[in-house]
Amino acid sequence: MADDTLSIFMNDTHITRRDFLGHMSRGGTAGALLLQLPWLATLAGCAGDTDTFAHLSGDEARTMRAFAAQILPSSDGTPGAEEAGAVQFIDRALGQPFFAGSAPVIRAGLADLDTRARELREAGTRAGGFASLSGPRQIEVMRQIEHAPFFNAARALVLIGTFADSSYGGNRAGAGWAMIGMEHRPSFAAPYGWYDAQPAAASTKSAA
Amino acid sequence: MNQRTFTERDTVDFVIVGSGAAGGVLAKELSTAGFDIVVMEQGPWQQNSQFTHDELAVERQLAMLNRVFEPDQTFRATNADRAQLNVGRGLLYRRAVGGSSVHFAANYWRFRPIDFKERSQWGSIAGTAFADWPISYEELEPYYTKVDWEIGVSGAPGPFDPPRSRPYPLPPLPNKSSGVVLERGARALGLHAQVTPMAILSQPRDGRSPCMGCGHCAYYGCEYGAKSSSLVTTIPKAVATGRCEVRADSTVSRVETNAMGRATGVVYFDTEGKERRQPARAVILAANGAETTRLLLSSASPAFPHGLANSSGNVGRHIMFNGFAFTTGRFEHPLNEYKGAVASRVVLDFYDADPKRGFYGGGGIDARFPYGPIAFAVDMLPPELPTWGSKYKQALRDYYTHSVRFMSHLTSLPVANNTVTLDPAHPDRWGRPGLCLTYQDHPDDMKTKQWFRARTEELMSAAGATTVWSQPVLPADGGVHLLGTARMGNDPRDSVVDRYHRAHDVPNLFICDGSSFVTSGRGQPTMTIQALAFRAADHIARFARSHEI
Repeated sequence: MADDTLSIFMNDTHITRRDFLGHMSRGGTAGALLLQLPWLATLAGCAGDTDTFAHLSGDEARTMRAFAAQILPSSDGTPGAEEAGAVQFIDRALGQPFFAGSAPVIRAGLADLDTRARELREAGTRAGGFASLSGPRQIEVMRQIEHAPFFNAARALVLIGTFADSSYGGNRAGAGWAMIGMEHRPSFAAPYGWYDAQPAAASTKSAA
Repeated sequence: MNQRTFTERDTVDFVIVGSGAAGGVLAKELSTAGFDIVVMEQGPWQQNSQFTHDELAVERQLAMLNRVFEPDQTFRATNADRAQLNVGRGLLYRRAVGGSSVHFAANYWRFRPIDFKERSQWGSIAGTAFADWPISYEELEPYYTKVDWEIGVSGAPGPFDPPRSRPYPLPPLPNKSSGVVLERGARALGLHAQVTPMAILSQPRDGRSPCMGCGHCAYYGCEYGAKSSSLVTTIPKAVATGRCEVRADSTVSRVETNAMGRATGVVYFDTEGKERRQPARAVILAANGAETTRLLLSSASPAFPHGLANSSGNVGRHIMFNGFAFTTGRFEHPLNEYKGAVASRVVLDFYDADPKRGFYGGGGIDARFPYGPIAFAVDMLPPELPTWGSKYKQALRDYYTHSVRFMSHLTSLPVANNTVTLDPAHPDRWGRPGLCLTYQDHPDDMKTKQWFRARTEELMSAAGATTVWSQPVLPADGGVHLLGTARMGNDPRDSVVDRYHRAHDVPNLFICDGSSFVTSGRGQPTMTIQALAFRAADHIARFARSHEI
């Protein structure tokens, strides 16, 4: 941001961004010309609780949903990526310039998950896809590919879908923010945390 | 905004290119002094109400920077390398009214006396153009104070402060939990944590709201107008004089000169891509260290074959970004660093370089965690923790509100081969030549980062963090502080502008922004950019009145 502002601010995001969407930001270069606000509005307009997918096929959506549920599970009894609507976010995002570059990697990766699932020939199941595997088996398959470009891209999309502003279709009712204990409000009054709320902190002057 | 407008038939007193930290000050000061001004700004004129807390758009898609993903920048480490397209990285700045002062974090450290005369005290450094500034801290001090009072800086004196002629106009912003734990670490190590000066209002001032603690300073625009950006401070005051037009969405492609070697105005593209001209009696470039370089090099002519104002060959050289290095820690109780301004305390005990370290370098260390949940979830947990699954989810919950970074902000050395040059093979959307960044940290810059990373780790442990993690420091390949590319100096053979920011080669061309820096300071340049601009405006107005331009 410069100064830090970006001072560090930016210097620092740099690092994150480098590993972040990886190929995505490069792949999305051409489309990125159209970037930003117009499609934000588009997404905001179609956010909703629908299972009609525009860009993912039924099989892809099922597999993506199972994958997302393993990235941030709800097995602890609190909402995970699935409940937050990460898959709905991803479906819409894949049609948008910033993310469209990753669509081929995502599609191929989802198909690969299903292929790997079928190769497992899990006892007692039909030859279904990744979503039909038991939880432990899903995890086993994901471990096989967790260093692949697909995994990184799909994981990033799940996280964005969980934590980005709800207007994009995920993070339903702020479920992602609640998951990590973040209050989402337009302003806050001090004290902000535990340490600055202690009586000693209030009297702390600039150090001698 | 209602404003006076000028046409191509009006020869205005000054065209100022850039409406950011420096351009805003120059526009306000010179219009107030009675001169007719057109400020050229390549980006839009957005209002506070358009700023959001949307992390995906702002932090991931860099929406505040505008057009940052266009394929018009390349990077190479050295002249021997082949430059690669470098999209969304490298030279980063906001294209919009207010420039990068709109989305910066607003840390407003002053330089200290040593920053202006460090070459004399330290000596030469191999492989660099380390030099003294042609001005002193004492000369700039009244203008630092002017920045404090004109735009609104909140702060309190600290033990290492340089002399100041007036107190801060506003008391400090609240100390945050990050500041409390930094103080704790500093005390344990015999160091000193002091109030971080911030260009953010702690109280109402000038009809502007004080900080509302929303936590969206760094990267974001302030919807409350509490951050003292040019957008809400100097620019409105300039326009209110009735002598200044801010021409947004107008991209300058070159400075025109006549047979006498004087600047006559600028050529620019309007929103439709139509080429236009704005004549002026004098031109001031305040477009940042990257864009100012592009304009000077793009304005070559038979009289100025290597680019305008470039007889020294130093235009575009010596780019400095300020290094950084950090350590992250988790504490037992929540800090909630996503609330409030970016930083509230800073340790400046290591500001001065010390020969005993065996290399040149210095800086300051503050405490902060201004990262949204997407950035955090992607890769900010300790590396030994899982990156997916139920344990990962639990870790996000355990760490997000409890984590903080101790961040060092550091010197960078001026190296002649670290350059911004034109890259005609990658033109921008207007057909202007793209920019190639050639950059490799000086060995002392890498050592400085390593040394400070170790200090941040010690401080974090001393502060009582329950988990401490840190990564190896990386060489820089870009940044947001764009410093040194049209350096100031007394000798026209090795500098671009004189001590008054007048180009040595062109009597009616002034250059005042981060490019004027001779050395990098310690990581927070904007306060000094604005002090330089206030000082430059005083002298430029004096020259204009006495017909010395």
